[in-house]
Amino acid sequence: MNIAVCLKLVPATTADIKVAPDGKSLQLSGVEMVVNPYDEYALEAALRAREASAGSKIEALAVGGDDASAKCLVHAFAVGADTAVHVKDATLDSRGAAKAAAAVFKASKPDVIFCGRQAIDDDQWLFPGYLGELLGLPHASAVSNIVIAPDGQSATCKRRFEDGEQTLTVALPAVISIDKGVGEPRSPTLKGRLDAKKKQAVVKTPAELGVAGADAQAALSIQQYAPPPQKTPGKVITTVPAEAAAELVKLLRNEAKII
Amino acid sequence: MAGILVVAEHNGGVLKKNAQELMTVARSLAAGAPLEAVVLGPGASKAAAELGAWGASKIHVAEAGMEAYAPLRWVRAVAAAAQTLKPSTLLMSSGSLSRDITGRLSARLGARLASDCVALKPSGSGYQIVRPILAGRVRVTAEAAGDAPLIATLRPNAFSIEKPASPAAGAIETLNVEQTPEDLRVIVTEFSRAGGKRPDLSEAGIVVTGGRALGSADNFKIIYDLADAIGAAPGASRAAVDAGYAPHAMQVGQTGKTVNPVLYIACGISGAIQHLAGMRTSKYIVAINKDPNAPILKIADYAIIGDLFQVVPALTEEFKKMLKA
Repeated sequence: MNIAVCLKLVPATTADIKVAPDGKSLQLSGVEMVVNPYDEYALEAALRAREASAGSKIEALAVGGDDASAKCLVHAFAVGADTAVHVKDATLDSRGAAKAAAAVFKASKPDVIFCGRQAIDDDQWLFPGYLGELLGLPHASAVSNIVIAPDGQSATCKRRFEDGEQTLTVALPAVISIDKGVGEPRSPTLKGRLDAKKKQAVVKTPAELGVAGADAQAALSIQQYAPPPQKTPGKVITTVPAEAAAELVKLLRNEAKII
Repeated sequence: MAGILVVAEHNGGVLKKNAQELMTVARSLAAGAPLEAVVLGPGASKAAAELGAWGASKIHVAEAGMEAYAPLRWVRAVAAAAQTLKPSTLLMSSGSLSRDITGRLSARLGARLASDCVALKPSGSGYQIVRPILAGRVRVTAEAAGDAPLIATLRPNAFSIEKPASPAAGAIETLNVEQTPEDLRVIVTEFSRAGGKRPDLSEAGIVVTGGRALGSADNFKIIYDLADAIGAAPGASRAAVDAGYAPHAMQVGQTGKTVNPVLYIACGISGAIQHLAGMRTSKYIVAINKDPNAPILKIADYAIIGDLFQVVPALTEEFKKMLKA
């Protein structure tokens, strides 16, 4: 089985991110960059799928600058990806990245394409469905459990929604976006790290993949970045529980006027 | 400006609150241009009958063949509803449905996508959008201009609700969504609903959450009691879910759900950045915590410093007293 996995480099979840004084950019120098956490789950799902089906191969893909290749693809090699493609471009948005990925996968024809349910930087939730549509493949999104049938023709997935859970059967090939729950992402072994040094990603530019001109343009033009609205310090109540509770209810009713 | 198409969600025929939010925003954007809605699934025609009063001139309804949710068919139905109107804007509420189908829809309709908007207004020939990125650490203002349509998903509870003074025509049009072999490529075989009587976390007006400080699943009873007393949805921090005190469906935060209620009551939650990502846009935040230095106090409007095992039941009693009065 040919398995593909898509990885993106994003600022770490705990990183403090500052907006430039003019609000036109983010100050990302010095901010720790990591493999998008949901993509780590996707990579884990890919590794488990390969373990379940003898003779399978994993192709990893990252769209981004050299740092994306250095972190995402070297990590993918270190945990066992067989091949990798680096689409070298730091300006594509998620739509452009999906177009570039579609061009790569049209050639390599994976049986299943894994990606994270969302990238935690732009939080658009666009990539998996967009990629599926471009490739003419079905998609299953935000899957927290996946079992690929022994014949490799379908996958049974579980997906959480607002107040419950769905079980879906998806015909392969398909694009499957992964949520937490498929298994803890593994860390590379020392041998894995050493082996990774012998592997090289194939580098492509968006233009080589036919993503140029209007296709490469961002869907939304960003005008301004701003920190979230700041809150003024709240009221702190330190009296004994019964009094504190009564005081709070009074404030919610008379001051906030919300109950 | 061409028309606006709203994907109105409902619960078995009862229009959801987020659909009312969408219709209110859609009316302000339409400014006289055609405003249509599409309603899908069992109960759709019943929910559709409500939409004229919210300003829809036409409502596309697909109920036959839509008994069980199937993403590819839902995409086809929305695309079919968009075919005659060719809307400049398609609005959905940000949630499981939009996250499942908007990526595909935007490719099919050649549309731009702006997910989880907290503000949306006309600007020049297009729209100005405000949306949180980086898990709420930054807000970005962006413009969608040009001829390509815009698919915007709106964060629940971020927009006010207003009924128009006079209803629109509300003409019902049956949408025939043909079954195709494509539909069989994704089949939903099971659909289990958790909870039941309690409001849906992502849409709830009041949310009460408990953290690891609760200490056990049994102790979460005080959270449920408080939530039930005020009609709130109960939630939990990741630490509480990981410890097995509450199911994952209740998790609020970066790897769980994003909530945006009027009132958020955090009990025994310190406020890790990943938790704040899921609730920081709540209008009023109450924190109940032993630790006067807990990070959540920085964003709390009201805080009670004390033992949650005493404060939470006392609060439940006070709310009950107030609601009886």
